[in-house]
Amino acid sequence: MEQTSIWENIGHIYESAVFIYGTTLLITYALLAGLSSLAIRAYLRKNSFVQYENMLGSPLTPGVSVIAPAFNEGLSIISNVRSLLTLNYPRFEIVLINDGSTDNSLIQLIEQFEMVEVDYAYTVKIRCQKIRGVYKSTNPAYSRLLVIDKVNGKSKADATNAGINVATYDYFVCTDVDCILDKDTLLKLVKPVTEEPKKRIIAVGATLRTANSCDIDEGVVTRMRPPRQLLPRFQEMEYIRAFILGKMGWSFLNCVPNVSGGLGLFDKEVAVKAGGYDALSFGEDMELMTRMCRFAYDNKIDYAIRYIPETLCWTEVPATTKIFMRQRTRWSRGLAQLMYAHKDMLFNPRYGRMGLVIMPYNFFFELLAPLIEITGIIYYIIALCRGAINADYAVLLLAFVYTYSIMITTFSILWDQLAFRHYKSVKEVVLLCTTPFLEFILYHPMNVIFSIRGYYYFLTGKKHSWGNMQRQGFGNKTVTRKVAV
Amino acid sequence: MFKDFSSYLQENSFLGASAYYFLSLPLVIQIAFVFIFVALIATLTAYGSILMRRYRGYRRDQKLADILPRIDQLLTDHIILNDGLSQNIPVEEIELPLDEFRIPLFRTRENRQMLIDRIVNYKKSFTGSIGALLRQLYLELELDKVSAKKMKSAKWNRKVQGMIELTDMDMSISDVNILPLTNSKNRELRAEARNAYIKLSKNEPFKFFDVVTEPLLMWDQIELFKTITTTEEIAIPHFARWVTYSSNKSIVSFCLKLIVHYNQQDAAQAVIRLLDNKDHALRADAINCLGKLRCEEAEPRLISIYSNQPLNCQIEILKALGRIDTGENIQFLRREFLQSSDFDIRKNAAKSLIKIKSVPRSLIDELIETGTAENQLILKHCMNPLIKF
Repeated sequence: MEQTSIWENIGHIYESAVFIYGTTLLITYALLAGLSSLAIRAYLRKNSFVQYENMLGSPLTPGVSVIAPAFNEGLSIISNVRSLLTLNYPRFEIVLINDGSTDNSLIQLIEQFEMVEVDYAYTVKIRCQKIRGVYKSTNPAYSRLLVIDKVNGKSKADATNAGINVATYDYFVCTDVDCILDKDTLLKLVKPVTEEPKKRIIAVGATLRTANSCDIDEGVVTRMRPPRQLLPRFQEMEYIRAFILGKMGWSFLNCVPNVSGGLGLFDKEVAVKAGGYDALSFGEDMELMTRMCRFAYDNKIDYAIRYIPETLCWTEVPATTKIFMRQRTRWSRGLAQLMYAHKDMLFNPRYGRMGLVIMPYNFFFELLAPLIEITGIIYYIIALCRGAINADYAVLLLAFVYTYSIMITTFSILWDQLAFRHYKSVKEVVLLCTTPFLEFILYHPMNVIFSIRGYYYFLTGKKHSWGNMQRQGFGNKTVTRKVAV
Repeated sequence: MFKDFSSYLQENSFLGASAYYFLSLPLVIQIAFVFIFVALIATLTAYGSILMRRYRGYRRDQKLADILPRIDQLLTDHIILNDGLSQNIPVEEIELPLDEFRIPLFRTRENRQMLIDRIVNYKKSFTGSIGALLRQLYLELELDKVSAKKMKSAKWNRKVQGMIELTDMDMSISDVNILPLTNSKNRELRAEARNAYIKLSKNEPFKFFDVVTEPLLMWDQIELFKTITTTEEIAIPHFARWVTYSSNKSIVSFCLKLIVHYNQQDAAQAVIRLLDNKDHALRADAINCLGKLRCEEAEPRLISIYSNQPLNCQIEILKALGRIDTGENIQFLRREFLQSSDFDIRKNAAKSLIKIKSVPRSLIDELIETGTAENQLILKHCMNPLIKF
């Protein structure tokens, strides 16, 4: 009898905790939806009269190094580099890092861009694997291109660090060589840096979208489409929600938790002093951002991270469950690693918003969310077996969560449509709008399971192996290559 | 739970039964009910808004596709291919067929705005007599009044829009109207007012340099630089005046860049005085300016202050010595290259040594032969014409 009452008490405490947790999460989402709307509207109003061409001929425009690591990208590397070279900006360099590719990437680059090895003096500010050679083109048309050939460091982080060591300018843009960038990417990423009156802008991010079903011509997205396949379409929906609603909302509060590894502009001095990318991290982009914020707080730098709602980068997302699983397992493992490494920042007022808002949010609503969901399901099953579930109420609460999640995702699609009217036809928008209905049943459970898998790997220290990422390629070539997924 | 609803229904109407039933539920379930209802309504509203947005966008695209070619046709026929222009008749004497433009199509606010936008757009592309004729058309159609009205709007974005239209069409705006806006709290309005003031002010286009209290942001500087350097018939002042007297650091920094752009050699003394400024970023800008002006008289001063400077200023001094290129400080550069422990100092010293024409080839050879592996690499790097930085 006494034992039963203990279990009941535990049950009550758990239910109350989950209730508070769920309510806080729902309120947070509602707040983010409101704040992102304000942030997007402010951005659009502020930028409606901007003449970016003023930057093009100006000697005052800050220089930017575009750092693009590549590993076995031989099938598409030439067209990707050509695409990067067409970026619309007056002062920039492309630092392409051949991260010990085992294919003919380097030979192709040397032949196509008339490159020769040069004696290049640089100082190693961040540790990385040995640079075997630096190449410059003898053709003035490719004078912006610098190719680094280095020993494979088994991570994008190591390759990017090598690029940062060699980069010339005070700001660097980090991207993947297979990402497609909008031609005005640099102009738009640099603008927030140049218009900030008091704070030091340490990073600027922009919206990423999936390239899977887009029409692409010569490295330029000529027509955006939501992916035809369901899994990539789920990811398109998720990207819209994360960037348009989440990051814009956080940006309004100057609480951006992360700048995506696919595209981000960074203050080189702060990035270097913070130690650069961590080659051992599975979520190197978020890890660097956290360390840069930490450095800023430790050194009393009044910093800001800005996000812009415009889509400036398209990337091919996993189209198969196997690849998707690897990617999400890696991400969640990275999150666990990050929270463990920076646990002292959690609720630490010394780290301001980072310690009191971003880290607690990441801890409770990113790291713990899958665990709470799993325990919730187990608790639910036990209660069901014990006949302690009121089926009507349970269905009602499920309907509540379901309708709420659809509403939030639909809002993010609405913000996107109101601001940018992406996609050519209504059919495509309708197709995307139907995707949230299945998310709850198909996509979300997958994410929970893969996250738990990531945490398990983190706890057991399982060695991460490089997976084969089968890409369709933007020229309809199927490319199989090893990437960190 | 739901079974009970029927019992309420037996005693009440449907609405009454629903109300009693709802009130009998636990609070959490009541909240859930409300939220489901709100979520459904909000989602449906969002769908409606998406469809509305798509439809409006579609209609606007259609409208643009219909009206723009007609505006283009009118402008081509009556402005670009104007008979008077081909006969070299002065622009002010050309009679424009205004009735062609005063058609019902342009009576709506939206369509009239399209016409304004198009005329402004054409004005940007055409200078000379075609540009002047476009301006005349804008005036004679009294579109300037439409733009001026926007400047009186309470909304900052309308004000900016009006200001941009007027400046692009080279219309004058009185100083009284625009000068207060150059110190507006709204950054966008402030920036645009400064641009407009420089472009349109008949008296002293740079007067706001004296009154500006807010810092000129990098973005403002980029925009102003473009306006100043591309506006025709603008009297370029001696920027040394603000370098000497302005207490606004951003104005001083911006003026240093303009001094370089206009190669105002007579500003050198004012810039040299800035070397005593406590702000090291401003000092670095001043050193950079002196180097780009190739100010030989500044060289001894730069050498004398070198050892007391922070790294960014030291690097600027090394760069300046290379630019000034008198050849009198070769030994100083050599010493810095050989003795400094800082990579950037050595690299910039080496760059300047390579740049200075009077440095004998034998010295470079000697440095390569006797230098450490890293110093050799730095020299080779600096000597390679393929590498810019």
